[in-house]
Amino acid sequence: MSALNYSRRHFLRTAGIAGGGLVVGFSLSGCSASEIPLQPLADAYAPNAFLQLTPDNVIRFYCPRDEMGQGVTTGLATCVAEELDIDPAHLLIELAGAHADYGNPDFGGMQGTGGSTSIKAHYLQLRQVGADTRALLLSAAASDLGIDLASLTTANGAVVANGERMPYGQFIATAADLEVPVATPLKADSDFKYIGKEFPRLDGIAKSTGTAIYGIDVDIPGMHHALVKRSPVAGGTVASFDGSAALAMSGVTDVVEIASGVAVVAAKFWQAKQALAAVVVAWDFPPLSSVDSAKVRADYEQLMDSPEGESAESAGELERGFAGAQGVVEGRYWAPYLAHAPMEPMNAVIKIEGDKAELWSGTQGPGIAQGLVARYAGLDKENVTVHQTYLGGAFGRRATLTHVIEATQVALEAKKPIHLLWTREDDIKSGVYRPASLMNIKAGLDDNGKIVAWAAKRVGGNITPGTLRAALPGVMPAAVSDGVVDWVVGLASDVMDGWVVDPSSTEGLYEDYDLPNREVLHVTKNHGVPLTFWRSVGHSFTAFAKESLVDELVEQSALDAVDFRLRNTEHNPRLHNVIQLAGEKMRAMRPEAGRYLGFAAHGSFNSYVAEVAEISIDNDRIRVHKVLCVVDCGLAINPDIVVSQMEGAVMYGLTAALHGDLNLEGGVFKESNFHDYPIVRMNEAPAIEVVIVPSSEAPTGVGEPGLPPIAPAVANAVFAATGKRLRALPLRLT
Amino acid sequence: MIEFTLNSKSVRTDDAPDTPLLWAVRDTFKLKGSKYGCGAGLCGACTMHVDGQAVRTCVLPIGAVAGKAVITIEGLGTPENLHPLQAAWAEQSVPQCGYCQSGQIMSAAAFLADNPTPSEAELESAMAGNICRCGCYPRIKKAILSVAEAGAKAAELGTEVSA
Repeated sequence: MSALNYSRRHFLRTAGIAGGGLVVGFSLSGCSASEIPLQPLADAYAPNAFLQLTPDNVIRFYCPRDEMGQGVTTGLATCVAEELDIDPAHLLIELAGAHADYGNPDFGGMQGTGGSTSIKAHYLQLRQVGADTRALLLSAAASDLGIDLASLTTANGAVVANGERMPYGQFIATAADLEVPVATPLKADSDFKYIGKEFPRLDGIAKSTGTAIYGIDVDIPGMHHALVKRSPVAGGTVASFDGSAALAMSGVTDVVEIASGVAVVAAKFWQAKQALAAVVVAWDFPPLSSVDSAKVRADYEQLMDSPEGESAESAGELERGFAGAQGVVEGRYWAPYLAHAPMEPMNAVIKIEGDKAELWSGTQGPGIAQGLVARYAGLDKENVTVHQTYLGGAFGRRATLTHVIEATQVALEAKKPIHLLWTREDDIKSGVYRPASLMNIKAGLDDNGKIVAWAAKRVGGNITPGTLRAALPGVMPAAVSDGVVDWVVGLASDVMDGWVVDPSSTEGLYEDYDLPNREVLHVTKNHGVPLTFWRSVGHSFTAFAKESLVDELVEQSALDAVDFRLRNTEHNPRLHNVIQLAGEKMRAMRPEAGRYLGFAAHGSFNSYVAEVAEISIDNDRIRVHKVLCVVDCGLAINPDIVVSQMEGAVMYGLTAALHGDLNLEGGVFKESNFHDYPIVRMNEAPAIEVVIVPSSEAPTGVGEPGLPPIAPAVANAVFAATGKRLRALPLRLT
Repeated sequence: MIEFTLNSKSVRTDDAPDTPLLWAVRDTFKLKGSKYGCGAGLCGACTMHVDGQAVRTCVLPIGAVAGKAVITIEGLGTPENLHPLQAAWAEQSVPQCGYCQSGQIMSAAAFLADNPTPSEAELESAMAGNICRCGCYPRIKKAILSVAEAGAKAAELGTEVSA
């Protein structure tokens, strides 16, 4: 495939659903009441929600999933382009706005991006869209040309007849009168031209020239800038405030109270920021205001030592397993609260006029954003247009859309188009967090190095309820009144907070190894910190506990780190295979004097990853020099993007392994910016070698699965170097 | 009234002199390629060139750039006329979310202009002021080295608009 075509500009427009021409009644959501999302534009033709063709052969692809860096625009464009038979680089990619047709099949049709689902969920769907559209164009061409369909073929965006190439756009007028075919046979894998091939990301030029548009970049006429002073303790409310000094400052137009605090509105950002400092607020604080991190840890330890715990998983006979064990190992592991800290802080731009609103924001759920604006502005969802932008990182953070509610409320109060931005300090101190977790694992071994008993327990807050609570007002039908929503949200929160089987809380604690006798217990305990999904979710902490404990089992057995894991993964052939491959490579590694290796493997999001970390210790400081990553993610749509996702997940996980730590003091996180919440930088970044297991299995997740093994791989290397077991994150020798 | 040159054009603004250059460029001159990341000079997303030096503009008052030459990512190259670093970034699929990349590229351009044939250690040290949360560091490093190795001349790596 050709290199990037520099004559084309591939940046996405923020203009939501543009254009659409002749539109046929074809709804992929299967919901007859749903309007086709593409609206007519002169001469264009949209056979479905995803593709729009014009007579001059401009072919737009409306990408249903959100581009947060994971390469989904390139990946999904490749799926549709493969079957449509066109070079993906020739597609103009637009980010879809809110509409049922753009739902995520893996989320029951909800329009959300997360859980490493995008390629897995849309792989066959979008190939089918491409194949059906190509078949339609071929039928139209046969009709127009009076040539037998069987003698026609296609080549890179054109119908070919008798050696003559005629662009697809030539046939759209006829195509519009034909019925769109369904269930057109898909290509055999061996015929793929683009899937499985490497070519540059389609958003590379836009993102290298400052022309890619993120939510923060949106600038509309009459727009004013808003910042919010929020309660320093999550859940606090405004008792009283004095905005008079702020209101007198240059450029300031409004100081308004909203649900989350007090907002200052000014002509420019810097004016709003200066004025915000002059707003004086007295707060009513919730009980969280008396909580320090030490109390969280002590409460969790007490609950861990108590018999309390609801069963999240159990099989076999645990007591008999331990009774037959020749050796027993037990370890207790801590993982702290973490912020996502995407480089682009939260923001939203909104214009509300009469009974209509327009929102511009990069979110992991445009449908939720639409619902939130509708509910908080009292509008019909149909009258709220959502313009999706690029996301300047997300990692789970952009599924909680407090900033969209805030922008809506400020715009209503100030009666102006509003650009609302969180500062980095807001992001670190007032956001939603990866929960702190205390985990205990006790395991028994037999003489053959088989694990015969496995008892795991986790204490911490549940992850899913907080996110659902924040999203519910946006996804419930508009006809449901605010009072009912409050009641349902309150009820649901109570139910969900006590929800002991939130799978996110214990995922990864037991699935990977052959564990004939196992039990996983969970104690839900949250002190009031708002929690949400964070890249790899529960696996981000459970893999650390599981793979660290397994390394202690290795030490007790007569096997090495690789053979021990191979012996205990008989039921899990794909994980077994990545362990085998990574193990072979590890045994070939020859670290120089003073460097040590650590191994870890973990399955998550239907993919399997084994990693080897090569480290040294320099004045009690852990330095990670190299990481080997072997991944089985099924068929790799674009292998280079899989590599980049593994690199990124290793780096993100390494920041958590070496630095990530948020600490409560009086219910307030002490950390505030990158000086005290440090991120791995270039001078700490290891070299990363990624090996993708060749596979013809259906594609699975790549955004998250590279993360879980890195912290335990480093911890296990630290043990190899020092003989010390580090059982708390971040890993510290002093 | 403060005057300076922005991407080789003379500009003037009556923004308060303590307004950070980043916000004057974004809000007043409407160039959105330079990003806000931390507001404290810690992450490098706001990096521009001031008289050829890479500067953290989220903490640089516009009063300090009076009479100086400011170049932003928009002035370094365009999609139709890419700077060699931008071409390397796109060809090697360096960006993921892309938000930090304007700052990364501006830091790299100023660094290579000073040191056209850097060692890896020099490069790592020079680029340590720019955070990439997506973890694109291996590719950023490789892209910069590829440009250096391509023997791009120092003159092409300066901060003047190339076309």
